[in-house]
Amino acid sequence: MNSTAPASGRGAAPAAPTRRSSERLRRIVKNRYLYIMILPGALFFLLFKYVPMWGLVISFQNYQPYLGISGSDWVGLQHFERLFAEPTFWMIFRNTLVLFALNLVFFFPVPILLALMLNEVRQLMFKRIVQTIVYIPHFMSWVIIVSISFVMLTLDGGIVNELLVFFGLEKINFLLSNSWFRPMYIAQVIWREAGWGTIVYLAAIAAVDPQLYEAARMDGAGRTRQVWHVTLPAIRSVIVLLLILKIGDVLELGFEHVYLLLNAMNREVAEIFDTYVYTAGLKNGQFSYSTAVGFFKSFVGLIMIMVANWLAKTFGEEGIY
Amino acid sequence: MVEDKTWGSRLFSGVNLTLLAIIALVTLLPFVHVLAGSLTTAAEMSSKSFILFPTVISFDAYTYIFSTDMVLRAMLVSIGVTAGGTLISMCLSVLMAYGLARRDLDGRRTIMFLVVFTMLFNGGMIPTFLVVKELGLIDNYLALILPTAINAFNLIILRSFFQNLPEGLEESAKIDGCNDFGILLRIVLPLSMPVLATISLFYAVTYWNTYMHAILYLNDAQMYPMQVVLRQIVILATGMSNESGAFAADYIPPPEQTIKMAVIVVATVPILIVYPFLQKYFAKGALVGSIKG
Amino acid sequence: MTHTQKRIRTWATGLAAVMSLSLVAACAGGSNGEDVNTGNTGAGSTTTSGAQGGNGGAAEAPFEITMMATQHAAEVPDDLIPGMIEEKTNTKLSIQWVPSGSYQEKLNAAFATGSLPMAVSATNTDFAKEAIRNDQFWEIGPLLAEYENLSNLNPDVLQNTAVDGKIYSLYMERPLSRQGVIYRKDWADNLGLEAPQTTEDLYEMIRAFTEDDPDQNGQDDTIGLTDRSDLIYGAFKTVSSYFGTPNYWYIDEGDQFKPEFMHEAFKDTLDYLHDIHSKGYMNQDFPVTSKTDQIDLLVNGKAGVYIGSMPDVLTLSNQLADMNPDAELTVQNGIKGPRGRGVWAIPGYGSIVLFPKSAVKSEEDLHKILAFYDQLMTAENANLLTWGVEGEHYEIKDGLANKTVDQVTDNTIVKPNNAWGIGGPDTIDGMLKGYFELPARALAEELVEANNSMLIHDPSAPLDSPTYIERGQALQQIITDATYQYVLGDLDAAGFQKAIDRWKSEGGDKIMQEYTEAYQAQQ
Repeated sequence: MNSTAPASGRGAAPAAPTRRSSERLRRIVKNRYLYIMILPGALFFLLFKYVPMWGLVISFQNYQPYLGISGSDWVGLQHFERLFAEPTFWMIFRNTLVLFALNLVFFFPVPILLALMLNEVRQLMFKRIVQTIVYIPHFMSWVIIVSISFVMLTLDGGIVNELLVFFGLEKINFLLSNSWFRPMYIAQVIWREAGWGTIVYLAAIAAVDPQLYEAARMDGAGRTRQVWHVTLPAIRSVIVLLLILKIGDVLELGFEHVYLLLNAMNREVAEIFDTYVYTAGLKNGQFSYSTAVGFFKSFVGLIMIMVANWLAKTFGEEGIY
Repeated sequence: MVEDKTWGSRLFSGVNLTLLAIIALVTLLPFVHVLAGSLTTAAEMSSKSFILFPTVISFDAYTYIFSTDMVLRAMLVSIGVTAGGTLISMCLSVLMAYGLARRDLDGRRTIMFLVVFTMLFNGGMIPTFLVVKELGLIDNYLALILPTAINAFNLIILRSFFQNLPEGLEESAKIDGCNDFGILLRIVLPLSMPVLATISLFYAVTYWNTYMHAILYLNDAQMYPMQVVLRQIVILATGMSNESGAFAADYIPPPEQTIKMAVIVVATVPILIVYPFLQKYFAKGALVGSIKG
Repeated sequence: MTHTQKRIRTWATGLAAVMSLSLVAACAGGSNGEDVNTGNTGAGSTTTSGAQGGNGGAAEAPFEITMMATQHAAEVPDDLIPGMIEEKTNTKLSIQWVPSGSYQEKLNAAFATGSLPMAVSATNTDFAKEAIRNDQFWEIGPLLAEYENLSNLNPDVLQNTAVDGKIYSLYMERPLSRQGVIYRKDWADNLGLEAPQTTEDLYEMIRAFTEDDPDQNGQDDTIGLTDRSDLIYGAFKTVSSYFGTPNYWYIDEGDQFKPEFMHEAFKDTLDYLHDIHSKGYMNQDFPVTSKTDQIDLLVNGKAGVYIGSMPDVLTLSNQLADMNPDAELTVQNGIKGPRGRGVWAIPGYGSIVLFPKSAVKSEEDLHKILAFYDQLMTAENANLLTWGVEGEHYEIKDGLANKTVDQVTDNTIVKPNNAWGIGGPDTIDGMLKGYFELPARALAEELVEANNSMLIHDPSAPLDSPTYIERGQALQQIITDATYQYVLGDLDAAGFQKAIDRWKSEGGDKIMQEYTEAYQAQQ
């Protein structure tokens, strides 16, 4: 039985027949159906995730497609050295971190808030309509969102600037400026993703036991206090979970979105790893360098997620593993 | 609760409803813009005289995109892949998530860590391509499904929801003579409708948006799903295509903006419709209550 | 095929078995289980393969050629014309159509996984240079003379596609320079302006179109130039060549390779456009303006000058006519700058065709493929690929091909095949050129021809620099940014010089040196 569950092999190693290990063996046999359940998924991860993972070694090679991995030269950490030696490395690193922080502070709470607000709506029809509407922008590609923003914000007849002029104010160069890039980025992220982000929270809220609200009302709690004392604690574990996963995505900020907003005038704040790799490497098929940058990003993400998970567990939360 | 008529509660509701209405209007803006754009003439569109309400209505763009079977065929492919893919993904994910949700399972932490690891590290396009090729999946729709059959993020969410179910339920089912499959099927799944609806939606949307895999794994243009058509039209119409592309005679003029908008509408509406159908599963607490009661 | 299908089926049944097993198990007691869906993997069982099916039949079995070509429209290409070509050449064609927006990714993936077809079309050899050097593609240069039509391909252009002086590819012809000025003829007439002859005339037109109320509506609501976020195919590079800027690179008196932006003419261009931008004679947001928005400014009657590809005048005129039937566009080129006339040229090819050894196994097969391409270069076949079937898709008018099909048919049946032909009117005797109703479009055709007398070529085209391949794109970004910043007034001459210094110190010096050496070696 235990041979079918790949990761349980370690636990089932033929150790000395102490009481503990025989207990464990009995537990594993008892849970045999659970291992059968995990098996197809485990096979999936093995086949489509772990088998291709050998591809990562090309970040330590001078990979030439026609030679393959076995035939390409090994170059050790050369690509990583090149990355850290890039004159713009720290600028890119800083930009990435700043955008991540903005994401965490300004975007992350929005879907929670929105879900709580939706949950308080008593008019069922209104609730359903709003719910459906706020999730629509998620299906508009970044190209569309960015081009609509352009139409509204351009200096050449954009409605926002026309309004500013109408009220006797100066035109603002939103699109070609260092200072407006970040607000614009985060506003667009909220605009497109906030409604979509509510879905998981709404599912979590749906699982809350109505008796809890009953009890809170008995204690004389008003509506805001019910939200605070019943709803929020009930979805806390989901919030923590999504927060950990978000933190693991620290260096993933949406290549397409940033790339569409990037221009000569805001590169100083807008260039991130993905856009950099795109211009520097991928266009010329520099597989090894691109993979090395990806490896670096993954590594940072892994550290972050491990720290976040450890912190969560320290504070008594479940964590993800 | 519905009868709660205190002054504070009314104020709360009023502010809440107003805010939500404003938010809904703001988020609806891009879609209305696109919809309006698809229903007008090219000239009206490029005159930028409107953002939301065109003065001239025209169905030319829709007539054009449905004048060949291109869109319909791609749509059928997308629907097939989405339905089949979501089904496969849900089966695999639910089984694995439930297995890993049980706290007495040896090795669960290791497996979960290995799952999380794949969210961060992946071998990249080429090695995955080789696996797909070795499995003989090139030019097969399964190539759009199997390589993404389980999404680690979705798996983690599912598992977390299963974990939060009251443990006592399982114990009582065991006493009734159910094995783990029985518990999953008869107890856990009925109690988890909201999260099952959510994750199905997530998978459906992912499959609906499948693009890169179609380009890589399908060599036959007849097999392309909707997103390939959509993307190509958007790229062409935005003038982002590479201008050094060669044409001996003359190059193809970019499709009109109205056509771009119409294709976006056609490619988006089917998946938008899914959500309202799933909403009934979000009815608050109905299920937990009914089981307990 | 059957082998593949079998494998798929094995796999699918395996998966289905695992899933149904897990569901069937269910409860020990009380089996009133509602029948939950068993794992249905049927979604993928319809495998429509592109072609294949090796039913030869007749004595001379058709030779099968697989190829990968760019799909430029959104419509799925029809196989009517490929079928006719198959018959004429006794081949069996299997064409993988890849949408233009994703061609590069598909090409890289197919290349890296050894799944390239026999004939691969690409924009240049960059994606596989190392592999070409290492003998992974057939060298065809010495073989071309054996073929009647292939031997007509222009040796200079072939040299531009070469790697280390050796020729590995066929090419599709493209006019060397289509660049020119498109402007509102009716506005110019209103203001009494002649077609611009010099950069000063052009400036005056752009100014007057802004300040002198060219549409005579009494309002200050027009600008001169409309431009977009593209320094190459937008206005910048073309204007720079009017000033006599070299095409990417030049060779100075000391036989040294230098980039265009070290040339004085480049700086003149910067000042010229900065002046136009700072005075409000062009769209202020041009560094973020898309082609669509750029065109909209023109067709809305907000801007009067568009600098770019002259044949665009046809589409632009059509769009403009929708908005304003009285408006008229025309084209102009040969603008004279302080250093004479000039316009930048591309290397003469639009795309190339390569033959990987992984797919073309023997020299015998290579000869068969070359013979096929040789046949594509007959006037009859070239016209079929370019214009479709005479009488059905086009008719001959004044010795030119006049299209008679609607856009959908054109995009489905005719135009896709433009993407896999080779050569062009200059190398195929009897190949038809296009007939155009619109005088401005016909004029554009003439002016494209006229551009050939003042071309500025890129001397680096046949040369190579390893540093350029590694760092060139990232370094170019420094200059591109600085160019925009200068035009927008965020950078002065000293700042621009700093950018050049940065370019040099981060690898530019090395690129210059490598090109110089490569150039001297080839002399």
